[in-house]
Amino acid sequence: MDYIDKYPDKLGKFGEFGGMFAPEILMPALNELIEAYEKHVCDERFMNELNQILKDYSGRPTPLYFAKRYSEFIGCKVYLKREDLNHGGAHKINNVMGQALLAKKMGKTKLVAETGAGQHGFATAIAGAYFGMPTKVFMGEVDIKRQAYNVYRMQLLGTEVVPVKSGSKTLKDAVNEGLRYWISNLQDTHYLMGSVVGPHPYPLIVRDFQRIIGKEIKEQIIKLENKLPNAIIACIGGGSNAIGAFYEFIDDDAIQLIGVEAAGKGKETNKHSIALGLGRRGVLHGAMQYLLQNEYGNIIETHSISAGLDYPGVGPEHCHLKELSRLKVGEANDNETLEAFKNLSQIEGIIPALESAHALAYLEKNRKDFSTLDIVIVNLSGSGSKDLSIVAEHVDFKIKPKNLLL
Amino acid sequence: MEKNRIIELFEKDQERKGKYFMPFLTAGDPTINQFKKLVKAIEPYSDILEIGIPFSDPIADGPTIQEANQRAFEAGINTKVALEAIKEIRKGTGKPIVILTYYNILIQGAETIEDALNMIFKKMKESGVDGIVIGDLPIEEAGLTLKACEKHDICLIFLIAPSTTNDRLEKILKVSRGFIYLISVMGVTGARENVAQITKNIIKKVKQKTKEILPVLVGFGISQPKHVRTIIEAGADGVIIGSAIINIIKKNLNDHEKMEADVIDFASSIKKAMKEAN
Ligand SMILES: Cc1ncc(COP(=O)(O)O)c(C=O)c1O
Repeated sequence: MDYIDKYPDKLGKFGEFGGMFAPEILMPALNELIEAYEKHVCDERFMNELNQILKDYSGRPTPLYFAKRYSEFIGCKVYLKREDLNHGGAHKINNVMGQALLAKKMGKTKLVAETGAGQHGFATAIAGAYFGMPTKVFMGEVDIKRQAYNVYRMQLLGTEVVPVKSGSKTLKDAVNEGLRYWISNLQDTHYLMGSVVGPHPYPLIVRDFQRIIGKEIKEQIIKLENKLPNAIIACIGGGSNAIGAFYEFIDDDAIQLIGVEAAGKGKETNKHSIALGLGRRGVLHGAMQYLLQNEYGNIIETHSISAGLDYPGVGPEHCHLKELSRLKVGEANDNETLEAFKNLSQIEGIIPALESAHALAYLEKNRKDFSTLDIVIVNLSGSGSKDLSIVAEHVDFKIKPKNLLL
Repeated sequence: MEKNRIIELFEKDQERKGKYFMPFLTAGDPTINQFKKLVKAIEPYSDILEIGIPFSDPIADGPTIQEANQRAFEAGINTKVALEAIKEIRKGTGKPIVILTYYNILIQGAETIEDALNMIFKKMKESGVDGIVIGDLPIEEAGLTLKACEKHDICLIFLIAPSTTNDRLEKILKVSRGFIYLISVMGVTGARENVAQITKNIIKKVKQKTKEILPVLVGFGISQPKHVRTIIEAGADGVIIGSAIINIIKKNLNDHEKMEADVIDFASSIKKAMKEAN
């Protein structure tokens, strides 16, 4: 394929997806962001500065680890891209440090963000502290309950966590409230979008900050195996860790790119987040994308055991890649995910984030697709320490820790 | 085809002497029936009627309209039910009707977006709709919608915000039809206590550009007769009031008769303030 750097077009379109379906009041701010992107992010010096921060502060490059025992368990060569070892415990740091640095260059002094799992909120709180920028994070009340640990961590870092009571009280509503707040505070505030979603230029900016994952993978796998992988698997919520891991490999058709969505309680139940697999084209949060919606165009409530995948839409570039048949769309449900969560913990001593465990669950389910010598890379987007209280409700051990939730 | 009532209304007033009041109600709030009654009650005091078709994720709306949407959804509102209600309302009024909604509501039910837009605007026209405001459709994305609106003789009304730059303003004026919806503040919808200085400045700036081409109606935040006076005296051709009316609905959810009476009182106080302004 001849794909890299061709999309999006000037209006932020990835084929028919993406764009700028935003209220007029936001348009000048989005245009300002486009200009800043062109001026800074496309400048090598900016990227060098960012990469230095990620190296010193977050420990990049993250290892590409050959999971020997897990490979035996699966039946092919499994490498884990250890984004969980980033400062903050997830890939989110790549994006937040980039956007906060960009915001600083734009003369913005404050940050506002949405969060689902609390991972992006926590990462934004880290960036806020690092750059000395007061930070507000909008978070649905339902998510606040299931991710209390991250709420506490954000507050510890000096970030104000604002509970969102509207709609389904989860990630999509946190985006709504965050954008409403931004509309009223455009002058001094940067909206720090957490994934490759939202109006142009967010899907482009976030992708470019996450591309570092795939760039490192390419170098590392060549060094380790002297060849490229057969497949890369990543979970898809909004799609930022996935596009980051995939992007460098898109033009090489021999490499399978597999995005795994959350099937929640099952495809047939309506309690899932399979936007790419089962959604219809529509517009939410400023972009044309596949959406879980009713026949009148109202967004329906989604479900996943992992708050980070519990979103009714998906990044426009993934929609386009699916249309081009370049992206294979898979899914894993809550139970399969819990099983994979347990498996990786016990076989490798690595506790994956529930989000990332979806990617592992896909591999466990579809291990027959790969032969012994095949190289499969799973993007381990985050660490599971944030998920322990949720998992404890489902996975029984003999000794139950009493006060898991701090 | 019948003449578009917005065009007709403003053609009669080439010199822009008139002052126009456009109240906003959410279709189906608090119930489908009570909504129809409220429209009937407010109709004599209004010049244009603005009716919202709720969207589940309205990013340009504050808590008041979000709650109205919620009540309307619970009452069973959707595009089909809303347009049926409007068809009935049309039988009782000759005044222009403008829809406010979000883009996703308009692109349903067909393979291509073009077909979906043509379908919905045709239906709107048949229901007696004259214009539409789309909360998340800037000019950059409006190509297909402009075409479909033109085909079905519906005015596509664009929003202008205090943040709108001069060259955007020019572009927006070029494609606008009917009137300009001027957002008075940098914020979302919702009643506010005062009219900000920025509002007066932006009215003057926009009026200078629009001159006699397009009337300018100002909305977002206006909640009291004294605001109306300030806005009209700053040069606006009219006001749009939503959240303040919805607050009256919310206050009287248990007494529908009082709800109607209070809405009428409020609307007449606005109309009176408009007449007194100079
Ligand atoms: C560890 C982890 N992985 C994945 C995601 C999903 O986001 P995305 O699809 O943008 O990578 C999240 C979101 O919170 C997350 O915390």
